[in-house]
Amino acid sequence: MDSTDLSQLERRARRRYEWARARRAILGFAPVLMIIAIAALENRHPLSALMFGSALFLVGVGLLWYGRDIRRAVLPGLGMGLFPLAMALCANHIGHACMGDRCMSLCVPVCAVGGLVAGIGTSIIGVRWKQGVQFWAGAAVLTLLTGAMGCSCVGFGGIAGMAVGYAVGLISVRKR
Amino acid sequence: MSPEQKAQLDALLAQLAEGDRGAFTAVFQLLWPPVLRLCSGLLKNDADAADAAQQALEKVLTRCAEYDRRRPALPWALAIAAWECRTFARKRTRRREIPEEQAPEAGAGSGAGSEDELAQRQLVQAAAAALGELSTQDREVLLATFWDEASSVSGATLRKRRERALKRLRDTFKRLYGLD
Repeated sequence: MDSTDLSQLERRARRRYEWARARRAILGFAPVLMIIAIAALENRHPLSALMFGSALFLVGVGLLWYGRDIRRAVLPGLGMGLFPLAMALCANHIGHACMGDRCMSLCVPVCAVGGLVAGIGTSIIGVRWKQGVQFWAGAAVLTLLTGAMGCSCVGFGGIAGMAVGYAVGLISVRKR
Repeated sequence: MSPEQKAQLDALLAQLAEGDRGAFTAVFQLLWPPVLRLCSGLLKNDADAADAAQQALEKVLTRCAEYDRRRPALPWALAIAAWECRTFARKRTRRREIPEEQAPEAGAGSGAGSEDELAQRQLVQAAAAALGELSTQDREVLLATFWDEASSVSGATLRKRRERALKRLRDTFKRLYGLD
């Protein structure tokens, strides 16, 4: 085989390698579709849950396909995102809390607390695993997108609450 | 392949499995010669060997995410290549729609020499088929033994594994062809 044939073979092998990685990434992240479906069914705004869920799926598959260090952020990011998501979906069912003649939606405070827990959890994992910037960025995006599926219950206020809580949790542990 | 190259291949394949695309060309260049050599040895036909080696190498690189970094890369890759040769030989037989033993190679001469060659080729194909029935570990041990490649284990463990793998190969050969 001459060098032209070999370089063609290498190109073909590279394409197949990338396809194989993509296929594995899609299959590996496929169970998350169940979480997205549950979040959409339980949310008052299923469309926004589906929107964030689609973004979550694309980002998760992208990270798994890319590999290297950032791939390690997928499971912690997703797992920590389940805190604000589950809390927000529960708060959705409770609705609101009333004190005297004033009532308020539980969504925003619950999302902030969920975000705080997720931020602290991600920080602990990141510090223990001695991960770099890629890990923190990947985990943050996945956590926020997972949580946003539930925290979009009161629009962007819930998501902002979760993001602030997450940032506080992340910074407080990292500063120690 | 020198021990340094083998160690380099182990590290590069592990990197590639993790998604480091920078290792791709180096892995490709290190694996191509031994894979082609193995396919030539098993298929005894340059054109078929080149085709099978291409398919085998594509498969090795496609499946590199399954590579276990605790084991040496070369026997793992050669085990896949051996299996691919067996599949290729089967496909070739089916394509010709006549049994392999009735389809002599183009350009093969007549007489005792070509008969010996044919018999040897059939024997190699039969051995490759029997090898394909074994587990990945057994295949790796046998490939490491007969192709003089590094194995993930050594000493008494290797001897014991080789013994067991050979026994299983004999049993499989007997089961498939009724011969020892």
